[in-house]
Order: sequence, then structure tokens, then C-alpha cells
Amino acid sequence: MAAPSSSSSSSPVLSLWKAYHQNTSDRLKFIDSFLIFLMISGIIQFVYCVLVTNFPFNAFLAGFSSTVGQFVLTASLRSQVNPENKGVFKDVSPERAFSDFVLGSIVLHFFVFNFLG
Amino acid sequence: MSTAYPLPTNLSKTTVANTASLLRIVALGLISAAAIASRLFAVINFESIIHEFDPWFNYRATRVLAAKGFYEFWNWFDPTAWYPLGRVVGGTVYPGLMATSGVIYNFLHAFNLPVDIRNICVLLAPGFSALTAWATYMFTKEMKDESAGLLAAAFIGIVPGYISRSVAGSYDNEAIAIFLLMFTFYCWIKALKTGSALFGTLAAVFYFYMVAAWGGYAFITNMIPVHALALMLMGRFSSRLYVAYCSWYAIGTLSSMQVPFVGFQPVRTSEHMGALGVFGLLQIVAFAQLARSHLSSKQFQNLLTVAVIVMGVVGTFGFIALTYMGWIAPWTGRFYSLWDTGYAKKYIPIIASVSEHQPTAWPSFFMDLQFLIFLFPAGVVLCFRELRDEHVFVIIYAVVASYFAGVMVRLMLTLTPVVCVASAVAFSSLMDTYLDPTQPEAEGESRPAEVDASAASNGSTASTASKKEKEKAKKPAAGGALSDIVAATSSSKKSKGVWGLDTRLVVIAHSLLMLGFFVFHCTWVTSSAYSSPSVVLASTNADGSQHIIDDFREAYYWLRQNTAEDAVVMSWWDYGYQIAGMADRPTLVDNNTWNNTHIATVGKAMSSSEEVAYPILRKHDVDYVLVIFGGLLGYSGDDINKFLWMVRIAQGVWPDEIQEPNYFTPQGEYRVDDRASSAMRNSLMYKMSYYRFAELFGGGQAVDRVRQQTMPKTGPTLDYLDEAFTSENWIVRIYQVRKEDDLGRDLKSANAFAQGKKRKRTKPVSKRRAITV
Amino acid sequence: MLSLYTFILLIFGLAVVLDAKSSSGNSVLVILDPARRPDYSIFFDGLQEKGYDLTFRAPKDETPVLIQDDIPSFAHVVFFESDTKHFAKDITPQTLVELLSGKTNLLIALSQKQNLLTSFAPEFSLILPPPGSSLLSYFPERKENNSVVPIEVPSSSNIISAGTAPVWFSGVPFVLGNNPLIFPILNAPAESFAADAEGITPDALADAAEKGGEGLWAGSQLAVAAGFQTLGNARVAWLGGVELFSNEFAKKEISKGVKSGNQQAAADIAAWTFQESLVLRIDSTTHHLVNTSVPKEHYTINDVVEYIAQISRFNPNKGKWEPYSGINDLQLEFTMLDPHIRTALPPVPGSPGKYAVTLRVPDRHGVFKFVINHKRKGWTYLQSSTTVPVVPPRHDGYPRFLSAAWPYYAGAISTSLGFFVFSALYLAGDARETNLRKAKGAKAQ
Repeated sequence: MAAPSSSSSSSPVLSLWKAYHQNTSDRLKFIDSFLIFLMISGIIQFVYCVLVTNFPFNAFLAGFSSTVGQFVLTASLRSQVNPENKGVFKDVSPERAFSDFVLGSIVLHFFVFNFLG
Repeated sequence: MSTAYPLPTNLSKTTVANTASLLRIVALGLISAAAIASRLFAVINFESIIHEFDPWFNYRATRVLAAKGFYEFWNWFDPTAWYPLGRVVGGTVYPGLMATSGVIYNFLHAFNLPVDIRNICVLLAPGFSALTAWATYMFTKEMKDESAGLLAAAFIGIVPGYISRSVAGSYDNEAIAIFLLMFTFYCWIKALKTGSALFGTLAAVFYFYMVAAWGGYAFITNMIPVHALALMLMGRFSSRLYVAYCSWYAIGTLSSMQVPFVGFQPVRTSEHMGALGVFGLLQIVAFAQLARSHLSSKQFQNLLTVAVIVMGVVGTFGFIALTYMGWIAPWTGRFYSLWDTGYAKKYIPIIASVSEHQPTAWPSFFMDLQFLIFLFPAGVVLCFRELRDEHVFVIIYAVVASYFAGVMVRLMLTLTPVVCVASAVAFSSLMDTYLDPTQPEAEGESRPAEVDASAASNGSTASTASKKEKEKAKKPAAGGALSDIVAATSSSKKSKGVWGLDTRLVVIAHSLLMLGFFVFHCTWVTSSAYSSPSVVLASTNADGSQHIIDDFREAYYWLRQNTAEDAVVMSWWDYGYQIAGMADRPTLVDNNTWNNTHIATVGKAMSSSEEVAYPILRKHDVDYVLVIFGGLLGYSGDDINKFLWMVRIAQGVWPDEIQEPNYFTPQGEYRVDDRASSAMRNSLMYKMSYYRFAELFGGGQAVDRVRQQTMPKTGPTLDYLDEAFTSENWIVRIYQVRKEDDLGRDLKSANAFAQGKKRKRTKPVSKRRAITV
Repeated sequence: MLSLYTFILLIFGLAVVLDAKSSSGNSVLVILDPARRPDYSIFFDGLQEKGYDLTFRAPKDETPVLIQDDIPSFAHVVFFESDTKHFAKDITPQTLVELLSGKTNLLIALSQKQNLLTSFAPEFSLILPPPGSSLLSYFPERKENNSVVPIEVPSSSNIISAGTAPVWFSGVPFVLGNNPLIFPILNAPAESFAADAEGITPDALADAAEKGGEGLWAGSQLAVAAGFQTLGNARVAWLGGVELFSNEFAKKEISKGVKSGNQQAAADIAAWTFQESLVLRIDSTTHHLVNTSVPKEHYTINDVVEYIAQISRFNPNKGKWEPYSGINDLQLEFTMLDPHIRTALPPVPGSPGKYAVTLRVPDRHGVFKFVINHKRKGWTYLQSSTTVPVVPPRHDGYPRFLSAAWPYYAGAISTSLGFFVFSALYLAGDARETNLRKAKGAKAQ
């Protein structure tokens, strides 16, 4: 997700940021903040694994996939709740999306804690 | 609108809908009954017994699970398998099958129904085949509609390609794996269609169950990513795809690593890297979509191009580097041999020697699938016509499964579901066209476009049940439900169509006839070819009555009742599970074939002379050696026919001591009569098979009925083994290994002395060594 | 109600039994023409004094049978009738080997004659000299025939008691092959050689001189008495000549005023053969985890296990088995196909007869065996094998929460917490929005 370091594309990044700030609703921004928190947590764990040790590999996988899994579930929730995507999700109302999200997360966490120790 | 035949007009829509669903439920019930019933031939003809080889191990493991509970099974270390290395069963087995049986067992016992664990194991496969039929119905319903679904369910209920691995008594992983396969695919398609994370999670949970059940789960692991990739390449990326795939991948991969046998493979081996790659790609594409909505098109183009290039380059190099450094394991031999078909014969003879791993012959496609095999391409073409997201899946599945089925006989099983689905689609489309009563009008009149009645095909599907009466009863009812047809106004005039009843009747009658033949063929193939427990053989006497050949069980029970409890039995690995299951004795090698060197040691012992083999036998504490010999009866699956594989596998580890050409005559023939080569004649396997065989013929010519050769008058002699047991038809022969001689002599001289021969006079042994210049 | 006479007889009989000297029974069959018994009376009377039950059988007698119904009838067989060519039907080399498998001990004397012993001896890797030869020696100078040879008893022999005077020998020497189960009791003197009565032929001498002494039946490589212990611990003593046991040699003086050691040597050789001396046995073996006392059905890898063996030795004077701690080179192997551990099994000071060692089970699962395989020439072979499976740790036998993994634990927990907080706030936000909308809707109305 890193922006490439080409001089001509610095303006797309800035304009992306400005457009994003203006166009997204508060709720979506709230979801995005959770997403960023998860991403940072995942990157920390990955860096620790690569730099220090990967010894309890299952613990690393459990922790890392917990962040990754939660990230994709939240991103799915975001896309399902986004009013722009209403036409894409005909059968899934936002409430249904949230309950799916909760269910998926519970299953994910169950497996994570089973795999952690 | 004009119709070819009259329709009742006074039925309300709800009545029609209710009747239709009732008919569907009844049809599904009948299909389940047919599926279960056609798998019971072996139980009725013989008895409720576990078949073949692999199921015996699963049965033993399930017994441990039922008797001692789940944690004892999970930690079970079997010291009697692969003696003396032992086998850590908990970590080297797919526990899904045993866990399922254990749950059913405990469930029934909780209701105080004392069902024996053996009966649960024997009847598990038919029960799950009924569930497979239902899962295929749901899957095909997503593809086309309920009528195609019912057809597909009926097909997969009785098609021989699936029955061969799921008869009553075939207690193997595939029994539940195919159901899980179809249901996982159904959940995936449903997740894709609705974009719901619930179905994605459900797909992941059933994927986990599948990983716990069968090693073929790698098929799903690669099918779903290929499908997602194909959709993205076709430009059909949507948020639904993102939701479905990511929820499936994240939860599914994490849960699949819970199974100890799989361990960390999903992040370490090449077979799973495809899924990871598509996952990453999806994230990139999703983010790109998001960014696009916020940017102008040109800026977005720039950003996208640079980002994609960088990502692509970094990703590819990353994968290559990791594979090169060995962090990601390359394709394992089993899967690699699917691409390079000559690989296994050269490098991994064990894989090449299994008869199920041979390429498929053309006739077996027809035998396993009958007329479905030529409806199948038609169905795939129809999928191309519609080409919704789910049809892309069926197309990919069809192509991939066809390739694999051509490479290995065993993989016919993965081809069967998609053949049933596609041919059901094709057949159902045919029925739709010809059962649809609307006729095209003459010019000038408006005609409604018709939507087919699902119940119309109900009649034809119900008739595939084995009762002919039901066929007659359903047909009139089919007409009634037809008024489900909504008089939708059409926008286009239909100028093409089918006029009159006669064409319709001809086509429908012919189709029903084909279905009838299909039922007949399936039942015949099932009863004659796929329903024999290979433990018990049957043949017909001269007067036509059945003659049961029960040599295997006779010999295994002799072992069970007449040998010490810790007596170690050496045999070729084919029979290991059966010996462990029925005779309950430690074995040296068995069908798990995880340790090639151990198998090669057994192969070396079998193909070397007695003097060379004896130290190997003593080192491994072998008490009994078991061989299968079919020469008297004409049973061609015996060890002399498998002998060359033993030699090849041993040669792979000891190329200096065992060479395959030594076992052929100088002209290159494989003979066992007096022209056999000396290595052949002195090998332990030859001696054990033909020991005292010539005596049976009372001085006449001894004939080996399998090899069609006459044996020399004096048979081989054995010094290091004693004959312990030979079964009634000489199929199983058991030999006891003699202990070392008390006087420290080698057994050959000891035997010669015991028979009265005198030793040659020897000079005193020189204690001085010669000086070598 | 027993009469006094029978009672005394019973006690006397019991005393005889209690006085039994051999550890494996005291019935002895002597294959010798009973008429020649007086020639060996010193030896046989000595045996009877010790408590052995002697039965004499001439070679052509049909009874008493050696093996009756597959069971040997006697605990020991003495074969002195070596000059005869024809024997009864049941005395054959094959039945003699069967006797050995049945744990019967044999004391066999060879002779120059060719009979069944000539085909029997090579099975024990004894190489007999050309027929008709006997042991000859021109040294030391003595008034006897040069076929009557005095032989010094080696001081290191553990069969013939120390300090025994040299013995007179007359008979056939032999060479021992390379069977590890055979060992010499008495070697021929260095200056002796084997030849027939005329002496060694000049051709043979020249031949051997060319080959550097090879093939010459001479020197101390020849043995006159050898012991063989089968893997089943039955003992066979091979003697080159029966004269070694005769009264005549026992009474003959070896040098001025010194009696020969024949009587002592004969008694000692018979004592060894009849399982009196140098007889060991393993009473019991056991294994358990250290600090426990009950043997486990299977061990886990890296367990620390103690193995204990109890060994006793037969005391012929008392006729009892006594614990014996004199073996200082006993070894224990922990084997799976090949020994993974091979360690000394030392005696435990303070516990007579107890040998113990503590070892750590290797880091490899499988079916292992505790193997004791102690073979020393002359002593009983100690062989024992105990099978024990070694399993990998249970699924909860591994350390569960490792400190090195704290970032992962923190990450996983923070994700779960974050999820809970997120959904709570989301739902709260949802509720607020619907309230707002309701309020707006109400307002709009």
C-alpha cells in the first residue's frame, strides 16, 4: 500500500487524501481508523517475527492472522455499509452485514485463541 | 398464447408453489433412499465388514477413539505399526472421518441406542452420500434452478464414479470428503452471489472440516483462488468477490492450520501459495477501486500503473527468493507427479506402484459416468452462454478436473461432481425446451416469454428412482404444476419454437429412456464391479453356486489366535493395515508408506537370498513373514506379480546390492519356471511362494495359473524359515523365522547337519595375516 | 501314619537333595562300558560323594534312552566310550545336539578312532587332526612314553583351581576354529606336536617349513581340553583323551614326591561342565522413572529412567543362589534397531547383587529395548531384553505460553478487545443515528 516514490505522483496522493477527507462519512472514517489500528498491530508483529525470532511460529501466525482476518472482515463490513455500494449488495442490508461481521469475527477469534497457545 | 397441451387455469400461485416444494422434498427423499440403497450391495451379498486396506486403519483409529475418548486418540502413539519406529497417529492422520464417527457413536449412545462402532463405520459412507446428493442439489440450484438441482442430485446419488469410493464398508476419507467438497463449493458460490460474510465464514468452517478429513483439500485451496483470479482477469471484480474471498481465506487458512497433520503447510508450501497470492492481489485491487472513487481518472491511472508495477515486481521477486532459499517448500512429489507424469516412476517408485495412481483408460470414463460423459461438454457450453460468476467456476472446475482425471484413475472421483452438475444443466435445459408447452404463434400475435416450470422436470427426476410405478404416477401430476407459468408479457415476438405434441413426445420419451439406461447401468456396475469387499473373494462353482474364498481372514485369524501377542509380522506394505486390523499384530510396514527406507528394507529382505535377508529379519525382531500367492487359484494380485516393485524400491536405496535386471532372464523375460534367473530363484519371495508347491501336483507338472508357466519338479528349500501356515487355497502363506542356532552355526550348515550330512574336513585357521606388498 | 524307618529314609533323601551341588540337576548318564568303571573310580566316586546320581550305560545298550518323549532324561551326560565305533540307535550326533538344546550338559572325551564324534566335533568348530594322530612330545625328558605328556595348568584359568599341579595327558589334540563360543581350558605345551605313532613324517615337516609353520599340528595353538557354552547356556567340555580322568594318571607322580593334578583338574572340569562353578543368572530386571518405584507402560522422550538388574551366582558349596556383585564390566544397551545408548551397568555398593544405572531416554520416539548381552568365556551368558515404547509428549506436554511470544499475545488480545470496543461503539453510533432520524422524521411531521 505504500505510495511509490515518483515525483509526479505526489500530487495524486495529496489529492487522494483531500478527496477522501471530504467525501467519506463519519461512520466510514470510524471504521477506517479501526482498520489502521489493525494494520499497525499486524506490521509490528511481522517486524518482530522477521527481526527477532519466529520461534513460537504458531503464536506468530495466530496473532498475525488475527489482525489480518479482522482487517478483511472490517473492510468487508465497510464495503457493505458504504451507501455507494448498495447496488452491489442486493441481499445484504447493513444490519445483516454487521451481524455477519460479528459472527465471522467470533469464529476467527475462536480459532486464533485455539492456535495461540 | 397457445400451448401444445392444455394447462389448468384455476390454480393459485401459492398452491402451485407449495405443491412444487412438496414434490421437491419428496424427490430429494427418494433420491437419498436410492443413493443409500444402491450402496448396500456388499452388505447384503457378503456381510457388514470393512473393505479394502486403508479403511482398516481408519477403523482401528475409530475404535481407539470410541473406546478411549478424543484426547487419547489425539495423543495416540501406535507402537505396533512400523515396528520398531512406531507411528504418531495423532499427528499423521486426517482426523475428520474418525471424529465424525465418534460423534455419531456418542450421539447414538447418549440415546441408549447401542450401535456397534463397526456398523457405524460401515454405514457412514452411504449416509453421507445422501448428504452429498443434497449438497449437489443446492449447488446446482445456484447454477440454474431447482429442477437442474434435482437432476444433479439424482445423478450423483447413483453414479458409479462416486459409488466406487463410498459403498457401505468403504470407510475411507472420501466418504465424507465429497460431501464437504460440494458443500464448501456451494457456500462459496452463495457467498459470491450475495456478498455475505456469513456464507464466507460458513465456507471457511466447512473448508476446515474438509482439511481435517482429506488430503485432497488442496483442490479447494487452489480452485477457489483460480476462480477469483479468473473473475478479476475478466474484469468482474466487485466488492462481493472481495468480501467472499477474504472472509473465506482468512478464517479458512487459520483454521486449516489447527489440524496437526497440516501444520504450517498453508504458509510454507507451493501448493498453498496461489491462495495467498490471490489474497494479496485482491487487497491491491480493492484499494485501487477505493482510490479510484476519490480521484480523477488520469491521476488514478498514473498512481495505479506505478503501484501495480511495483507491487508485481516486489511480489514476484519475493516469492522466487523465498522459494529459492527454501523457506517456501517446492511442490511435493505427490502433487508434482500430476504435472510431470514421468517423475514418479523415476524418483518415487512407491507413488508409481500404486494401481490407483496409473493414468485413466478411456473405457473407465464410460463405465463410471455412462451418458453423463457426453452431456458434460454440452453443459459446459451452456455455462458459457450464461456466464454469470458462478458459471465461470463450473467451467474452471470442469477443465481442471478433466485434466486430473486423465492423469490418475483415483482422481476420477473429483471429476464426478462437476460432470453431474454440468450434465444436469444440459439435460435440464433440454427438458425445459421440450416440456415448455408454449408454441410460437403464427405471425402477428404476441407471445409471452415463458419461464419454465420447475415442477415439470420434477416428474422426470422422480422417475430416476428405481421404482417404475412412481414414474407413471408422477407424470400426470407434472402437468398440473405447469400452471406456475406466469402470463408474463413479452417484449419480443417468438418466431422460433417447437410446434405440436409429437416432437415433444419423441424427445421426452428418448430422454426418459436414456435416464432408464443410466439407472440400469449404474446399478449393474455397482453390484458387479464396485461392491466386493476385497477381503473376501467370490467365484462361481461349476454348477453356478457361489464359492466364497475367505483365505485372507482365515490366515489373519490364525495369526491372531496362534501367535504371541507381540509377534512381529513382516509382509509387503499392501497388507499392513489388514494385518493390524484383523490379526492385531505388530507389522513392519503398512499402507501409510511414510518411510521409504523402511519399505526398501522390507523389499531388500524379500528380494535377497536367505543368508542376506536373515540378519535383516533378526535385527527387526521379525517372527513371521507373510506372503500372498495366487498361483494355485489364479489370483493375480499376488506378491510375485508385485515383486518387481519390491526390487525397484529396494534398488532405490541399495543400488549396489539389488539390481532389477538380475531378476530377468538373459533374454529379458520375467520367468518363474526353470528358466528363472538365479537371483530370482534364490530370493526369499520366490522361495516362500513356491515352497512345497510342486508337491501339490503329486508328481505331475506343477502349473502356476497366474503366470501360466510350469514349475520345476523340485521346489525351493528353506533353511532360515519354517512354514507355519498356508491357507485353504494357498493364497496366504505364513512362515516363522527360526531363531539363531544354539551352537552359533549358520542355519544352513545346521540344517545340513541335522539331515545327516557331514562337514568337509577343514585345516586349522591361520592366525597370521599375509603381508601385502 | 509313617513308620520311623520311612521317616528317617525321607529325611536322608531330603538331605541328599539338599546337598545337590549342581544348579541344574544331579542325574548323570555315563556312556561307558560298566566293566571299565573301576579304571575311573577316583573320578566317579568323587562325583557320587558330591551327590550326583550316576547311571552307567554301555554303548550298545538300548536303555536308558537319552531323550524320552522329546524331554532329555538326564541333566548331564558323560561320554567316555570314545574307542567304540558302533553305538545304539539313539546315540547319534543329531540327538546329542538335541540334548544341548534341552539344556543338558555334555562331558566328551575324544580318541584317535573315527566314530560319531569325528562328525560331531566340527559342529563346535573343533578341527581334529588327521586320523590316527595323537599328541606327542619329546620334552621334558621322562621315563614315560612320548605320547604321555605332562601339561602345565595355566594360572589364569578360571576353571581349574589355582595351584593345581601339572597334569598327565594322553590323547588327541585339536585346534579351535573361530566360533566365539568355544574357549580353551588346557593348551598343549609349546614343544608338543600331533602325529601318528611313528612320529611326524619328514614330508609334512618340510611342507610346513616352506609355509612358515602353517598347517603343522604343533605348538600351543593345539588345545587338549576346551569348553563350549551354547547360546542356551548348556555346557560342553571337550577332552582330547579319556586318560586324563583315569585312576592311573591320577595316581602317577608328576615329579619327585608331587602327585599329578589330574584328580583336581578332573573334578574342576566336571564341576564347570555340570553347572556348578561360574554359573550366573539374572534374577529380575526392572525399570522406572527416577523417584518413582512402579514401572511405566511407556516412557516419554527425554524422560530420566533408572534400570535395575538383580544378578546372583550359584554357590556350589552351599547349593544356593547368592547375590553377586562381582561383575564390573556389565553393559546396558538401549536399542531401537541399533543401540542409541550403550552405558555401563555398575554394581550398587551396599546392595549385593544389584546393578543400576540412570539414563536419559533419547530424543526419538519408537519401540526401544533394554538389552543386557554379557558373554564372557566360561561364565554363563547373561541375556535379557525388555521392550518399552517411547512416545512423544502429549499435546499438552509442551510448554504452553512462551515469554518470547508476548507481542503476538498482545496483538491477538488487542485485536479482540478492539473488536469488542469497535462493535459497541458502532452499535451506539447506529442507535444515535436512528434516534436522530426518528427525531428528524418527527420534526418533519
